[in-house]
Amino acid sequence: MTAIKPAPAARAQPVPMACAQDERKQSALVGFVLNPIAGMGGRVGLKGTDGVVEEARARGARPVSPERAARCLAALAQALAASPAKPTPRWLVAGGAMGADALRAHRLGPFEVVHQPPPEPTREDTLQTVRRFVERSVALVLFCGGDGTARDVCSITGTAVPIIGIPAGVKMYSGVFGVSPTRTAALVAEYLAGSIGLADAEVLDLDEDAYRAGRWEARLFHAARTPFEPSLTQRAKVMSDARSDAEVTAAIAADVRETVQAAPDTLLLLGAGTTVRAVAEGLGVEHTLLGVDAVLAGRVVGRDLDADRLAALLERHPRCLLVLSPIGAQGFVLGRGNAQLAPEIVARIGRGGLVVVATPAKLARTRCLRIDTGDPALDAALVGDGFLEVRVGYHRRRMVRVE
Amino acid sequence: MSAVDERDGRAHRADSPTLYERSRPGRRACALPASDVPATPLPAELARETLRLPELAQLDVVRHYTALAHRNFGVDSGFYPLGSCTMKYNPRLGEEVARLAGFAEAHPLADAEHVQPLLGVMLDLQRWLAELAGLSAVSLQPAAGAHGELTALLMMRAYHADRGEGARNRVLIPDSAHGTNPASTTMAGMIAVEIPSDPRGNVDLGALRAACDERVAGLMITNPNTLGLFEEQIEAVVETVHRHGGLVYGDGANMNALAGVVRPGDLGIDLMHFNLHKTFATPHGGGGPGSGPVAARSDLADYLPGPVVARSGEVGAGVLALVEPRRSIGRMCAFHGNFGMLLRAWAYLRVLGGDGLRRMAEHAVLNANYLLARLRGRFPVPYDRSCMHELVCEGRIEGSDVRALDICKRLLDHGIHPPTNYFPLIVHEALMIEPTETESRETLDAFLAALGAICDEAVRSPERLREAPHTTPVGRLDEVRAARHPVLVDAAVGGGGGTGAR
Repeated sequence: MTAIKPAPAARAQPVPMACAQDERKQSALVGFVLNPIAGMGGRVGLKGTDGVVEEARARGARPVSPERAARCLAALAQALAASPAKPTPRWLVAGGAMGADALRAHRLGPFEVVHQPPPEPTREDTLQTVRRFVERSVALVLFCGGDGTARDVCSITGTAVPIIGIPAGVKMYSGVFGVSPTRTAALVAEYLAGSIGLADAEVLDLDEDAYRAGRWEARLFHAARTPFEPSLTQRAKVMSDARSDAEVTAAIAADVRETVQAAPDTLLLLGAGTTVRAVAEGLGVEHTLLGVDAVLAGRVVGRDLDADRLAALLERHPRCLLVLSPIGAQGFVLGRGNAQLAPEIVARIGRGGLVVVATPAKLARTRCLRIDTGDPALDAALVGDGFLEVRVGYHRRRMVRVE
Repeated sequence: MSAVDERDGRAHRADSPTLYERSRPGRRACALPASDVPATPLPAELARETLRLPELAQLDVVRHYTALAHRNFGVDSGFYPLGSCTMKYNPRLGEEVARLAGFAEAHPLADAEHVQPLLGVMLDLQRWLAELAGLSAVSLQPAAGAHGELTALLMMRAYHADRGEGARNRVLIPDSAHGTNPASTTMAGMIAVEIPSDPRGNVDLGALRAACDERVAGLMITNPNTLGLFEEQIEAVVETVHRHGGLVYGDGANMNALAGVVRPGDLGIDLMHFNLHKTFATPHGGGGPGSGPVAARSDLADYLPGPVVARSGEVGAGVLALVEPRRSIGRMCAFHGNFGMLLRAWAYLRVLGGDGLRRMAEHAVLNANYLLARLRGRFPVPYDRSCMHELVCEGRIEGSDVRALDICKRLLDHGIHPPTNYFPLIVHEALMIEPTETESRETLDAFLAALGAICDEAVRSPERLREAPHTTPVGRLDEVRAARHPVLVDAAVGGGGGTGAR
């Protein structure tokens, strides 16, 4: 028999892919908080519940979030039991209707009440509870509510502690919600089993007073980290596209970098949001998450610019590319959360100067892109024949409907 | 196809010991003949002290591999409706032809004058394919479908560069195309631009027009597309791309619906590839290598990869030669492409003839439409119109929350290979079913009966589906975990382990 030494690879030990972290996650501490009034305003036409819970009740609103949470927790109990990794999380919760009752009903394992809210809980109780979670270094915060709750939770966790929301509010523009209570449960189970990783997400909220008055003013409030599934609906795609959000955004960044390097004397404006931040990282420049920055020849020449300073820069550097990403799930590329990009500035840059970037996962949550600069004629010019080209990867573009 | 036999579980089939476990010291499978040359010791640096190889009798080896072969599933074992893969029966005639000594023993470096009949087969195949494509020239070089795509894209690039339009680097790809199209585009150094489908499953002409400008190198179109639908506006699509100076490439993966009926060249397609291993019944899916010949219209023929077979004027009339097209993009494959596959496809074409090919396509379309008509009530059909050679429905069952994957896994217990699932990506919970023309009415009915039983079971006892398959040697794998956290254990070192199997 010929003597061939087996290749070293054949003797490989079990591959330690983030195993240590997985073990930690399997018996991880998870914080759970339920905003019992979230979503009440929606059913009675109030477009939000912040500050109007009394009126909502008077109009006959009934709590919706406990029922949404129950659906998620029931699915989560099933998913954890069915998971080959058998995660057995330990829970920290707010007392009574803010979490403990629901957890107990679904027998999700041992839990500890870290904050006992009064009978009529307020925002402050959510904040208190999440503070306790962070002090105890939870691996994940699961909350139930809408954009307002997401904003409260994220104001404490920042990007240090991952969060995920059971969708139960009136407005859910933030990228931290599962598409349904049961899909949220699946994401939590898969994250605790170590099957999926984390991605950046944006936490947005509307100004509810303005919204109730018929104006739609979305604002980007925070960046959060959230369990990420490359595709929301398709497990098979998770297989073939076994990539993390960071890999996809890095590929998009490489694509934009190539464009920038081909036009070194072009002024580059970087808009808001986490995808654009990844592009900035790819270019090796710092980025204002909630503002517009300017880069020329690889150097930042303006930070968090307002309309006047943008206009002055464009005066000196008429050749310009503006990198934008749709914000949240509502698909606004221009006109929400970037008021400094005034119509006259966008008009000067023109349709040809727009570089729109988005991950396929974000586009999957976005029915179509929207543009609302405040100038209808400009909007019509930018919408053009109804499609915008979006960069979704390295040398990958997609024609996406825009309204 | 057998009914599900729950007693016939996986227990007695699961334990097939490895060769290392069967190994016993001193056992030998064969005796080497005595050496007739002087023994020379190995240089010291190449010698080693120990080497763990299994020691086995011939019978051990035969039983081991026979046991493994019995776990295999192919078209020869049962129905295999894997969408877009055209898993049709591979006639034995093709094997006989490929094994004829004159073909099988020819040397790839033999001079052309010594292998004229072989070149004759290649020339005949080139002509058949050119005729079916409605195009003027063919190269048999590419070794697979995606290899054919890459070939065509490199030809596109060379064509534009020669015309001083080398800046054209964008390739338009409908979202109903095969996933290999954007990959091939990136590999060819160009930029893939995805075009959405309209509500009828056609290319969205508005989006196509918006994407067309002076940067467009071409469009890659699969017709029928991966929804199994004929592109109803194909002429407008082709015209739009041509008007902007782009070329139109036809992905021939779904030619089983068109061969002998529609010639892509007549629709305005400029160049295309064939999958001999799909349309022309050469074995694939583990059974053999692929073959993806490329056809081109006359002014693109010069860019084909060489060599191609042509009648040579120099040596004398009627003598065949291997020639390099004038502006060839170069070789795409060693020697003559996957010659064994060319032989099988050629035999298939010669036996069927033109009329036979047409009947092949018609029966493929008929079988798919029969399934579509019978499945319409059971599963949602997102783009519901007459299909071509395959159909796409949503794997959702009313009154149950089982998923397409569960249905597919349960089909295994019925002795049926699952359809393609979760593709095309534009259909939620997609099941993509391609029966092919070689399946009988009885087989199709048995498939429908199996799906019917699964639908009933999904409502009655969904956990049976979620835990399926029950009768295969290995149960349900956690595919995501297996891909991301593989546990690789070398049996020679010891220890159990697996890849996430329960």
